[in-house]
Amino acid sequence: MSSPKTLPKDAQVMIQILKDMGITEYEPRVINQMLEFTYRYVTTIIEDAKIYATHAKKSTVDADDIKLAIQCRMDQSFTSPPPRDFLLEVARQKNQTPLPLIKPYCGPRLPPDRYCLTAPNYRLKSIQKKVSSAGRISVPRLSVGAVSSRPSTPTIGTPSAAKAGTPVSLTGQRFTVQIPPSSQTTVSKTTTPFTPTVSNVLINPSLIGSKNILITTNMVSQSAAADSLKRKHEDDDDYDAL
Amino acid sequence: SSDDIMSTKFILKMAAVQGGMVDEKEEVDIKTEPQSDGLMNTNATDGRQLSPSPSSSSSAGSSKSAAGAPEDQQTLLAVLQFLRKNKLTESVEILRREAGLPEDALDTKGADCSAPSSGGTAGGVDGLDAGSLLSRVAVSSSAGTPAPTKVADDQPDVSVVLSAYSQQGDPALYKVYYSDLKKFIESVLDCHRAELSQVFYPLFVHMYLELVYNNHESEAKAFFEKFSGDQECYYEDDLRVLSSLTKKEHMRGNETLLDFRTSKFVLRISRDSYQLLKRHLQERQNNQIWNIIQEHLYIDIFDGMPRSKSQIDAMSGSLAGEAKREANKAKVYYGLLKEPEIEVPLDDEDEEAENEEGKPKKKKPKKDSMGSKSKKQDPNAPLQNRIPLPELKDSDKLDKIMYMKESTKRIRLGRENLPSICFYTFLNAYQGLTAVDFTDDSSLIAGGFADSTVRVWSVTPKKLRKVKSAADLNLIDKESDDVLERIMDEKTASESKILYGHSGPVYGISFSPDRNYLLSCSEDGTVRLWSLLTFTCLVGYKGHNYPVWDTQFSPYGYYFVSGGHDRVARLWATDHYQPLRIFAGHLADVTCTRFHPNSNYVVTGSSDRTIRLWDVLTGNCVRIFTGHKGPIHTLAFSPNGKFLASGATDGRVLLWDIGHGLMVSELKGHTDTVYALRFSRDGELLASGSMDNTVRLWDAAKAFDDLETDDFTAATGHIHLQDNSQELLLGTYMSKSTPVVHLHFTRRNLLLAAGSYAA
Repeated sequence: MSSPKTLPKDAQVMIQILKDMGITEYEPRVINQMLEFTYRYVTTIIEDAKIYATHAKKSTVDADDIKLAIQCRMDQSFTSPPPRDFLLEVARQKNQTPLPLIKPYCGPRLPPDRYCLTAPNYRLKSIQKKVSSAGRISVPRLSVGAVSSRPSTPTIGTPSAAKAGTPVSLTGQRFTVQIPPSSQTTVSKTTTPFTPTVSNVLINPSLIGSKNILITTNMVSQSAAADSLKRKHEDDDDYDAL
Repeated sequence: SSDDIMSTKFILKMAAVQGGMVDEKEEVDIKTEPQSDGLMNTNATDGRQLSPSPSSSSSAGSSKSAAGAPEDQQTLLAVLQFLRKNKLTESVEILRREAGLPEDALDTKGADCSAPSSGGTAGGVDGLDAGSLLSRVAVSSSAGTPAPTKVADDQPDVSVVLSAYSQQGDPALYKVYYSDLKKFIESVLDCHRAELSQVFYPLFVHMYLELVYNNHESEAKAFFEKFSGDQECYYEDDLRVLSSLTKKEHMRGNETLLDFRTSKFVLRISRDSYQLLKRHLQERQNNQIWNIIQEHLYIDIFDGMPRSKSQIDAMSGSLAGEAKREANKAKVYYGLLKEPEIEVPLDDEDEEAENEEGKPKKKKPKKDSMGSKSKKQDPNAPLQNRIPLPELKDSDKLDKIMYMKESTKRIRLGRENLPSICFYTFLNAYQGLTAVDFTDDSSLIAGGFADSTVRVWSVTPKKLRKVKSAADLNLIDKESDDVLERIMDEKTASESKILYGHSGPVYGISFSPDRNYLLSCSEDGTVRLWSLLTFTCLVGYKGHNYPVWDTQFSPYGYYFVSGGHDRVARLWATDHYQPLRIFAGHLADVTCTRFHPNSNYVVTGSSDRTIRLWDVLTGNCVRIFTGHKGPIHTLAFSPNGKFLASGATDGRVLLWDIGHGLMVSELKGHTDTVYALRFSRDGELLASGSMDNTVRLWDAAKAFDDLETDDFTAATGHIHLQDNSQELLLGTYMSKSTPVVHLHFTRRNLLLAAGSYAA
């Protein structure tokens, strides 16, 4: 740490400012940080002011330009929280609505899917298109009314964990598969995850054998849109247990 | 001509007083009506409606013409006044002739001052001409009060410009007024002096802000230098902020200051002292100060003995003065909710009796100590269905049984039996540990860090496991009994897990009561919900657009509250992406938010040095507690729900009685900010942890023991605090340079503390 005598003038000024604001203990790097911020801020303002001055066809930058520049920056970077009466008004409106009743037996209580961070954030692309010969094969859902993201493991809804992936009791019903493209699948990216599903089915012979269940692929080729891997229950606003 | 103006104003004022319009109840908050014409977008007027009291004898008849005049008229009068002031008599004549204004219109001083405050809509003031006159008269001195500078700046309106000139008080005289008042108060009887000295600080600040707002920079500086040293020491921080504020532009964007300017500073003064003050100020010619007092101060008068300095000091310190008595009068249901009776399974688990209301039970249940013995509703407890609460699931019932079993093994703490303290020190955090939380059964500890990570550790030897991936889940035998263990992935079991997701330091952490979720709030303005089964982020709740300082789950789960820099606290439910309730009212950031044990109330502590208790059902503020001299960083409810403890940067721990809304006790001892407070499980002891590296134990049972709240105390809010901090202090335990960030009593009353080692 250099003694105050050898510090540059700007740093001495900054030290004085910190002292005036009552900050007595600070790491030495704080001065550098504050100075950098100051330089950056002043430079930005002056550059903005120059632009405004040239726009107004003035030869020199004057106080009005600076004021305008500051004002614009304030609204942009240094916003302040809303004023009190606005908050009171918003609060009054919000607080008038009664508290919503809680649905019983809901599993994890989470907002609708669009507001959660549980959707898959990638898409698979297949390298080749295979014709879907075997018809539609459906495997019951592996996730029960729970947040399930394709890449990560599904959470288990609280009511009955044992239901996870249990196809047994649900014979005769059709479910869409949410077969996650696990590590066993090819890394091909396709909107038609047909290839992966076939391989998955093979891995789980127990599912096919004794239980008379139709297994379909989650044929998402129809929806070529980016959100092709959305779960079929996207229309529901809430999770429902199966 | 300024003398003329002053004398005119004085005459009008006296007329108003004699007209009996200004009566004893001087809560004549002279209010200006909200601006609907947009001339002055007075955000400031939230507390202001036209005062109904001056509706009687409108003795100021001469103002009628001005009052009834439309907006243009006001402006014209303002211009006239301006010309007159600058001795441009010929122009005055010409203008008057052309505008067709009557001679005497000029004499109404009120006219030009009205421009800023009631600009134009004065005419539409329900015909309450006298009211508008009074408002003008009062506002005249503080012509800048159409505070929100934002719009005012943008409108180069004549009236705005003139408001600066038509200001009643000569800026150079402010010093004189203040010195006069100072001299008067110093000459008053001792018993009144302490009370009247309360006036100094708000008056000083408002006068200073007036000067700054009206661009009298040098006078403002001189005023500040002369009198800032006289103020109470606990206002030092505020004064320092003020000293850097020398121009009007500085005020823009500083919401706290704008709120201060527009909200009323509340003072509690006894009737006798008040009479003294009023008489003195009204006698004088230039009752400038009286105007400011009426404009900016709310004086809550009570009948009784004047308070002593120490009593006043105990309660003052907040940004908005003290709390009005009626702010603390609402009924608060501070009792606990009835616990559902759960049969402790003697053999196998059968049906459990949930409804204890006289339902015939087949098995004799082992009654837990939690369930209330009497079947009657506790009058101080809220009804079970006052707010919707999630029903108990099977796993919750199992948890409760565990809880009951643990409580039987709980150590009874007391003066003779102090708890052991187990300190969890976070090493290598490099002062980046910003938040800590324990689960209720003390099995997990979570830390929020300045590098935006959240880390979860297992306190017990049992490792942290996450649920297997979906492919693996397919392979397990779903019929087996231990399926709940099988779904857990052994391969990635570890002592700790790191959660990434935030983009700013994590300032608050809270476990859910069922240990499935973790909440964290951060400087990036979001509150994130993490699953502790998959250790991934589930939801990001966006609402605060500014740093969120604290968050907490409700004791029953499902709801959580968060508070941040935008000066509001929000109540959320995990399944709604928008908040259910917004608790707005604080003047500065909300730094600490806690649920009451019955989940019906939320308490928030703020940088404006007040604590507010909010009702979850209606969103109303039901209690305001003032007394701290610094931002409040920690709050704790006693287990019986009756009392609240709070800790702030001033190092004091204050105890409050929620039912009566009074301060019970003041615990002095810490020398630095108190960051952690926790009551023991039975409420016998209070543990406090602070930046001064100590944990202190206080005798809470004794502090709450001898509370005599008679009617007088409740009515006036007078408290007699005993200086018994030393007797209540049971022990001080020092750590080696580790500030204490969090405290937690285990179910068996072992005290756990957490902090990060600061070398």
